[in-house]
Amino acid sequence: MLTVTEVHKKYRAIKALDGVSIDLQPGEILGLLGPNGAGKTTLVSLIAGLRRPDAGTVRVAGLDVTANPEEARRFIGLAPQDLGIYPVVSVRNNLAVFGEIAGLSGLRLRRRIDDLAERLRIAHLLDRLAGTLSGGEKRRLHTAIALLHEPPLALLDEPTTGADVATRYDLLALVKDLAEAGSAVLYSTHYLAEVETLGASVAILDHGRLIASGALQELIASYAETAVELSFDGPPPDLQLDGLAVSASDSAIRITTDDPSSAVATALGAMGAAAKRLRSVEVFEPSLEAVFLNLTGRRYSDEVAKEAEELVS
Amino acid sequence: MSLRPSWAICKHEFRVMRSDLETPIFLIVIPLLMTAFMKPLFRMALVGEGFAGANGSEQAVPGMAVMFSTMFVGYMGFAFFRDHGWGTWERLRASPASPLQIMVGKLLPPFAVSILQLVVLFSAGVLAFDLVIRGSTAALVLVSGALTLALLSFGVAVTAIARTSQQLDAWGGMGGLLFAMLGGSLVPVSVLPGWARWMAPATPTYWAMEGYRSVLLTTGGLGDVLLPVIALLGFAVAFTVVAVVKFRFDETKVYWG
Repeated sequence: MLTVTEVHKKYRAIKALDGVSIDLQPGEILGLLGPNGAGKTTLVSLIAGLRRPDAGTVRVAGLDVTANPEEARRFIGLAPQDLGIYPVVSVRNNLAVFGEIAGLSGLRLRRRIDDLAERLRIAHLLDRLAGTLSGGEKRRLHTAIALLHEPPLALLDEPTTGADVATRYDLLALVKDLAEAGSAVLYSTHYLAEVETLGASVAILDHGRLIASGALQELIASYAETAVELSFDGPPPDLQLDGLAVSASDSAIRITTDDPSSAVATALGAMGAAAKRLRSVEVFEPSLEAVFLNLTGRRYSDEVAKEAEELVS
Repeated sequence: MSLRPSWAICKHEFRVMRSDLETPIFLIVIPLLMTAFMKPLFRMALVGEGFAGANGSEQAVPGMAVMFSTMFVGYMGFAFFRDHGWGTWERLRASPASPLQIMVGKLLPPFAVSILQLVVLFSAGVLAFDLVIRGSTAALVLVSGALTLALLSFGVAVTAIARTSQQLDAWGGMGGLLFAMLGGSLVPVSVLPGWARWMAPATPTYWAMEGYRSVLLTTGGLGDVLLPVIALLGFAVAFTVVAVVKFRFDETKVYWG
């Protein structure tokens, strides 16, 4: 359904995408992961035909998106990262206009609006002005617009950003149903847990490069190991532990091991007086977080927290 | 080209318009009040020009109609800027509608409302302000259609060039006012200073007023409005060229509102 081959995109001197290739089959969910600035939205925009790649090709249902943008878009439903709804018309009319543009009409359009609204629990809001909805309701409508015409390829760019727990739950359930019905779903997100919940394949972008892709379990098996992280007040002690891989950062040491309890006991025994400065011990089970850490040397949660801080400041 | 996506967008634009009916109503009602206010003044000006039988509506009705038509420039451009503000422009671009289909769908409603404005103002002119169409009604319609096309394309050109909604307001509003003043719709060209009279033909409003005056003050027919209509269509083509060259669908416009 979707084949992206060696796509490059630059904004002035900044490489937004650097030779990215992905493949997505009908019925498959691909979780596109990466911190802000990783290139997720640029990739989604290229696939939707909103921007042109500097090099490489994007094919949707066999159609080159650059050469046949309108034809290719018939197969696509895009929910952009930022909310896109008409606040001054009703929820029903927000859905109707995009349904009609996509070729739905009459009874089929009405039924589809009713079904999807029911599914996303906004049926009781259909006659309300979209501008009067709560944040979560707007997010549901925003996503519903993209999925109304049952697109064979759904591009959902951070669809749960700012959503409450109930909205997030409903959207994730809808995405699963969509894939089960045969649609391919490209699901861009900040949240590793969502990808794990969806059981999606994973593509991890970092600074415009695709640093890993594949089935979730395969990635975890390939890149993630159990590790223990010991954090200290001040610099960590210089530990040499027989048979254990130890790496140090400014205030922590990290031990890769299959047996966290023994590793902690061994480390405590070896660190002497530095044990008094020990602040915390954290065990990292194999997970996407560990995959990201192994591939980039950075903690995904730290990256996201840093972005949040930058946003606030 | 399928008209279906354009029709869907067009219907939707009317729905959006319906949520703010005050603006089009304002652009239709205010010129009626202005016509009543200006008619006696224009009568004196027209008599001074040698049209002894004129009652002033021959200048007041088309003058106010043309002046307030120019105000639709900003109204039309706003139809694009608000989509940027609401985040729906990306959605339209990502839909199966082609750029041409989107443009047609978005431009038809302001075109229709602008025509409606002229119909209401000229009808009210005849019914309430003693306006007599001495020449050909077909010629009047032709001039009105050409004027609307010229102003619509001016609106698209301004929208293409403006990066922010404030720029749209400034350029659309000022451009419209300049056109109205220089073109002889606010005051007859004959009373303008020499330099302004010299510049007047460089505005579409001048040619619209020439066409209207031909039909309303004399017995002008289709042949008599040919030059004004050709000039108006020339402006339409020129503005369209600017719009085609400058309009970028992937540009992010800044909307404050």
